[in-house]
Amino acid sequence: MAITRRQLITGIAKAGVPAAIAGSVCTGKLHAESIEMPSAAVGMLYDATICIGCKACVAACAEANDTPPDTRGDALHQAPSDLNDLTRNVIKLYKPEDGSVFSFVKRQCMHCLDPACAAGCPFQALHKDPETGVVNWSAEECIGCRYCTITCPYHIPRFQWVGFNPRVTKCEFCSHRLAKGLKPGCTSVCPTGAVIFGPRPVLLREAKKRVQNNPGHYYQNRVYGETDNGGTQVLYLSKVPFEKLGLPELGPESVPAKTLRWQRRFYQYFALPAILYAGLVQVIRKSLNGHELEAHEREKETGLRAQL
Amino acid sequence: MSSTAMSTVRETDRDSDRWERTVPVFGFPVVNGFFLSLSGLVLVALALTAYRELAGLGPVSGMNDAFGWGIWKTFNVMVLTALGSGAFAVGIAAWVFRRKKLHVLMRMALLTSFLSYACGLLLLGIDAGRPWNFYWIVFPWRWNMHSPLAEVAICMSIYAMIPLAIENIPPVLERLWYFDSRLRPGVQKIEKVLRYFFPWIIAAAYLLPGMHQSSLGALMLLAGERVHPLWQTAWLPVLYLGAATFMSFGCVAGTTMLCCLVWKRAMDMEVLDEAARITAWLIFGWLGLRLLDILFRGAFVTALHLDRFAAVFWLEVLLVSVGGLLLLRSLRTGEKRSMFLGYVLSSAGGMIYRFSPTTLAFRPNPEALYFPATVEVLVSLGFISLGVVGFLVAVKRFAILPAPLHEWYDMASYFRFRRPYIRWTGYFKYGYFGEDETETNGDD
Repeated sequence: MAITRRQLITGIAKAGVPAAIAGSVCTGKLHAESIEMPSAAVGMLYDATICIGCKACVAACAEANDTPPDTRGDALHQAPSDLNDLTRNVIKLYKPEDGSVFSFVKRQCMHCLDPACAAGCPFQALHKDPETGVVNWSAEECIGCRYCTITCPYHIPRFQWVGFNPRVTKCEFCSHRLAKGLKPGCTSVCPTGAVIFGPRPVLLREAKKRVQNNPGHYYQNRVYGETDNGGTQVLYLSKVPFEKLGLPELGPESVPAKTLRWQRRFYQYFALPAILYAGLVQVIRKSLNGHELEAHEREKETGLRAQL
Repeated sequence: MSSTAMSTVRETDRDSDRWERTVPVFGFPVVNGFFLSLSGLVLVALALTAYRELAGLGPVSGMNDAFGWGIWKTFNVMVLTALGSGAFAVGIAAWVFRRKKLHVLMRMALLTSFLSYACGLLLLGIDAGRPWNFYWIVFPWRWNMHSPLAEVAICMSIYAMIPLAIENIPPVLERLWYFDSRLRPGVQKIEKVLRYFFPWIIAAAYLLPGMHQSSLGALMLLAGERVHPLWQTAWLPVLYLGAATFMSFGCVAGTTMLCCLVWKRAMDMEVLDEAARITAWLIFGWLGLRLLDILFRGAFVTALHLDRFAAVFWLEVLLVSVGGLLLLRSLRTGEKRSMFLGYVLSSAGGMIYRFSPTTLAFRPNPEALYFPATVEVLVSLGFISLGVVGFLVAVKRFAILPAPLHEWYDMASYFRFRRPYIRWTGYFKYGYFGEDETETNGDD
């Protein structure tokens, strides 16, 4: 007996539905979930116990990125209170009321291995360089939706609120200087070596060595960024709790992998939506035929043209 | 068709209040004081929009580094498109689950959906800092397929511009058909093409909103713990979609009831009861899922704290559940008043829910504060007014609002005998049978 087109299509659909559901829901790990280290991952190591809070890096950052100094505080000094549309890098002070140990912190982009900002960015304006791992922003793709300011667990990207052509400001690791073989602005001026530049694996080894040589000196005897949020390329050492410095405890799994697991599974290869669509078309076709029959009969009864 | 058969049907149906046909609102002018004041708001909003494009977002809004999203996104898009998901929710009930009685509400659902999506998308473009880069939407390789926001932006625009717009064509074609007999062959040709593609278009019109209404919830997943634990859950996409379904039922049925009151039309309680029954089910299903999720995550303790988050949570739960109970009560007693109130309260509760994760329950840092600026509120109101203005024009010029059969005959006689000089809206030029009277009568 010959197989009609309808039988063929429904047969394929019947076989395909369980297969596609199994394929998209039961895959152990998705591509997007396995975090890969960029081949030539650059990094920064910031040791808060060495930092003297001189803010030379803040001035150097503005100079290296060709940004005017942010003197909006008192119209005289470059002293931004936080990251903003002119400030990619800022030194802040954590000083508890009770007079216990205080600490400076250098706030800047962490260059996560699995960045939440890039995971949410609709047209990949924020994207991770496959070689150096630097998270860059490009003006050609950015629609200015400010989703990055909401998704970043460290609250780093800042939006320019004034002007018709706003930009997103965040540390881009002085990519233009890296291309010329120079170090990022901040690391080239730090007088105490609190922030140093190098390949991430080398810096991680250095940080671990410092922890090993000074047991009990550093908070939890660990390096923030080794595994936190899936790993970051900017590493932190501190003697006060990391949360106090604006580095939340996020666990070893990255934010996008943790939160978008089901979203990603549902849309993988667009398989489930496609099947749903095919099913809907079949059901609606039947309803439409029935609906039209009834409408035509009523049309005959009333003499009024049927309305869809 | 014999005239005797016709007249018998007509006589029995004349007394019935059964909604059978959508009929334009006639006898009420489009332009009145209300309409003019809404248009004024629209104009103010357009002028302020021009200022916003030049000055940037900071001077016109209360948005700041901590609250990157203001009411334009979190209210006009996230909340109002949920109210405007009628084309999705009512449509699925009518076409997929074959609740045949709801077919007569479909045009209301399609119109409200289209207007709320169109106004939301316009405001989304104004809210975007660099809207000129939206052109990437036509280059799929630039899409970030795993981003909820990309999903929302792309899916919403495609949905509103293609399937939803096409679904709204039949009332326009119908008016052309009645307008001039010379247009009829062309109209019929277009209708034939439409009929051929309709299953595919409707199916897309159900798949796409299902995707983006849930992705709207997925947006706040990435914000992690900055959303209060009463709201932050892996079920956010499902809960957002569920809230959209009962809110849109409330919007469609509630608006229809309101229109019937204002323009003095009979209400068909069979259709309204069916809608209320479905809405009540949706409400209690949604509420159950919401509360179970909170209980299983162990977040219920935070609902007992004396803070604004708990207050918002209890207000939302109270509104939604009282709304649902009122709907059930109206099904038992047949009171239209409690049905309408039930729709209003449950939709208000749903609106609070959809508004919370991004704004009311979003805590980027302890000292962060957001309150919309005056200009922001005016623009938001202006774009809501734009939708209402569109609605007022549409229901008075096209057959959108459901009515009993006698309303159609009343309309025909109204324009034939009381307003014979009106020639340019075609429902009236030819008789209610749609035949071309110029050929038979020879006058005109």
